[in-house]
Amino acid sequence: MDVERIKFERTGGFAGMTIARDLKPDDLSEEQVHKLSELLDDLEFENLPEQMTGSESMPDEFTYTITVETRRGEHTVVTGDASAPEKMQELLQFLNRLARKKKNP
Amino acid sequence: MHKHSPVNCIVPPYMLKNIATSGTPVQKNVAMETLKLSAQMRGQRQALADFSAATFRVAAGGKDRVVYDARNGSSLPGTVVRKEGDGPTADVAVNEAYDGSGVTYDLFNNEYQRNSIDGNGMRLDSTVHYRRGYDNAFWDGEQMVYGDGDEDLPEDERLFNRFTIAIDIIGHELTHGVTQFEAKLQYFQQPGALNESMSDVFGSLVKQYQLQQLASEADWIIGGGLLTENVNGVGIRSMKEPGTAYDDPVLGKDPQPGHMRDYVTTISDNGGVHINSGIPNRAFYITAVELGGFAWERAGQIWYVTLKDKLTATSRFQDCASQTYQVAGQLFGAGSVEQQAVRKGWAEVGLNVDGGGTPPTEPGGGCLEALLRMIGAAPAKR
Ligand SMILES: [Zn+2]
Repeated sequence: MDVERIKFERTGGFAGMTIARDLKPDDLSEEQVHKLSELLDDLEFENLPEQMTGSESMPDEFTYTITVETRRGEHTVVTGDASAPEKMQELLQFLNRLARKKKNP
Repeated sequence: MHKHSPVNCIVPPYMLKNIATSGTPVQKNVAMETLKLSAQMRGQRQALADFSAATFRVAAGGKDRVVYDARNGSSLPGTVVRKEGDGPTADVAVNEAYDGSGVTYDLFNNEYQRNSIDGNGMRLDSTVHYRRGYDNAFWDGEQMVYGDGDEDLPEDERLFNRFTIAIDIIGHELTHGVTQFEAKLQYFQQPGALNESMSDVFGSLVKQYQLQQLASEADWIIGGGLLTENVNGVGIRSMKEPGTAYDDPVLGKDPQPGHMRDYVTTISDNGGVHINSGIPNRAFYITAVELGGFAWERAGQIWYVTLKDKLTATSRFQDCASQTYQVAGQLFGAGSVEQQAVRKGWAEVGLNVDGGGTPPTEPGGGCLEALLRMIGAAPAKR
């Protein structure tokens, strides 16, 4: 998948702190871009349902809104830690670690 | 025992328990009969069963903890690393999850006669080391899950420590389980913020109970010790002064309001459940400090009974204000210092206990004194 941009938003969580990031291939290492493409391809991200949450969030889980833009268009998926299927967990961990706030980033 | 008890009102179970455990056989009997009656009145067989078990405990079979290790993966629950009765391991997160859920169990069991999350001895499952670099803890509907914070970053970049570090976080997550079995508060907007607040209230009480702190001695901070020294903050939330827990160039500023006039309307965070919880949090803090003593006793009892018997899935702040006031009247009498403290607590966050909700119906009027007089243990007049 030729990713042009990923919009990542994480809300909720025990601390209730929102993170919103625009991730572009140019800002990532070659290795990171490769890994990301691999994860998205494995998931067939474009074909995932837009809502991958239960009817209600589980207390304190993060809610993720992930939009992947490619040349062919964009696709958005909303999911949560407890409701995401097992195969999505690695992508969530990967994006989480990329996007989270750090001292001296 | 007579057909009609002279004391047909609700007495705090913790008082009854004290009487029943330390009283004479006659006193024990009276306390037990009174509890039976009030349990029948409320149609709560379970409360009675729990009370009997707590007071005349013969067999164990209450506290049952299991701690699992996700080994940085996301499969739940993971591998069992410590079971009830096992000694400490070399892993601090495992021991914190074990000990913290134990103190939480004890608070609910000893003070509110509640046998675990479901009131029926449900096993307390905790998973530690969830994923890698996971800055969070949550309740997944069946168990507690804890991340290690920023353990994967160099120390000078870390903002969060492991989430088991603060015992009130453990109490907070377990209380989500209690709420799930009782009021079932929707996790959205005001019912969701009440759900969050109940978890902060009992989370903080677990910490105070562990430390045997008076309301005036407690810090009323949620998540103390969770932020690293790279962050300018003392924790995640302050029940005493919402909005003051942290103010940091990287993390931003604590967004919690402590008054209805500052209520935040947002669609983020399930409608601001972790933001607006500051309002009911502060109402509890004021009530507890106004009453003095141990916050888990009178203030905690009022909030617990409200969570168990009054709140519903769609309850809003006003409902909680009116109902805690009503419950305080039922437990301690109309016009009691307890009821006045509840009124003050909500007034200071901009809510009038007389507004909306169902009006107080219980005549009250010193039912506790009546019971104590009957068994010859009347306290000095307040
Ligand atoms: Zn929570």
